[in-house]
Amino acid sequence: MNTRADIAGEPPEGALTAAEYVLGVLDADAHQRASARAQRDPAFDADARAWEQRLAPWLDEISPVPVPFALWRRIEVAIGIAPPGENEQPNAASSWWQSLQLWRWLSVAGFAAAAGFAALFFTARISMPPQPPHEMVATMAQDDGKPLFTATIDGNSGKLVVMPLGVKIPADRVVELWLIPPGDKPHSLGLIDAQQAWPVLVPSALRSALAAKALVAVSVEPPGGAPHGQPTGPIIAKGEIALL
Amino acid sequence: MSGPTDQIELRDWLAATAQGDAGAFERLYRATSPKLFGVCLGVLPSRSDAEEVLQEVFTTVWRKAAQYDAALASPLTWLAMLARNRAIDRLRTSARERAGAAPIDLAEDLHDPAPSTLAGAEASDESRRLETCMRQLEPQRRTLIRTAFFEGATYDELARRSGSPLGSVKSWIRRGLAQLKACLER
Repeated sequence: MNTRADIAGEPPEGALTAAEYVLGVLDADAHQRASARAQRDPAFDADARAWEQRLAPWLDEISPVPVPFALWRRIEVAIGIAPPGENEQPNAASSWWQSLQLWRWLSVAGFAAAAGFAALFFTARISMPPQPPHEMVATMAQDDGKPLFTATIDGNSGKLVVMPLGVKIPADRVVELWLIPPGDKPHSLGLIDAQQAWPVLVPSALRSALAAKALVAVSVEPPGGAPHGQPTGPIIAKGEIALL
Repeated sequence: MSGPTDQIELRDWLAATAQGDAGAFERLYRATSPKLFGVCLGVLPSRSDAEEVLQEVFTTVWRKAAQYDAALASPLTWLAMLARNRAIDRLRTSARERAGAAPIDLAEDLHDPAPSTLAGAEASDESRRLETCMRQLEPQRRTLIRTAFFEGATYDELARRSGSPLGSVKSWIRRGLAQLKACLER
């Protein structure tokens, strides 16, 4: 409690509570109380906002981290702005993502089945393409040749799905996907899941690099991913992109 | 807080979001979600918690974008502070113990601002002022306040990790905050 004698002589309680609330040092109950107070006490709320402004420059020191592609779908669904059939290419776009269930199922079936399915999948899509198909695959293997991940890539949309083929990662580490155009340095494509198929949307600036002969690679990184935009952990698997 | 993304553009998208413009909301999401995800991951030890909080933050933004007041904060500051606050809420309610939390060594001055924070034309006046005032605090107060901000650590956690009595940690931080406020208002 803050009523102890050892804090006597410190500045008035109210102003400090707002500062402590914004700084984030209050325990669950006190944080909850402060949060509720901010809702009903405009002076307290203004105090908290002022502290946010004072500390805001520190936010600049926090590095952005790529967000899993699927999160946007979850938000669209949660707020009800994704009624099926509203976007201009809904079928091509959503069928790709809805097929994730199949991709997940396939991660059990292994690489051969995956390659076969990828071929079927793309062949099936060719019958109704909005643009000439531009589909690619990559198998990312260890140095000894054992495949650890496969990626199927739609060059038109910049979407790819990475499928792990049974890879063990330490519990306190994450895996990050990289695109390495010939003669260039690695560009992060964000964190992926080592347990299940994972969709990735390649940023538009990198789309042109998503081509045959470029490498895709997976590195093991600390939580949050490589802090400075370049791999810091070991590259556990890599492979060249090939046209399907 | 400044950023590479045009704050005016973000403000327009927020305003359009408040009118129910889903396209503007998606642009806002694309431009700001990686930063906000970084904020959440700094506070929350669990990646899935961070994803859930990020989703919650953007659903809140969709519903409450009208509450944004451009006179009080830049759009990115408002969004990032909202994300930070929600992440701290989640951290407090989930019983999960922060696993990899390192001990805090108060004897050592850990405060080493990134070069970009102090030098260079891109550092804002606000950030320079904050750093100048932080430098006037005693090292232990400085270290505790920074750790609290970046990790959302409670008094209890800070006391435990620094091996200091809870009363002292509270007192250091409170005095440090009061000093900081006085300095920033000069």
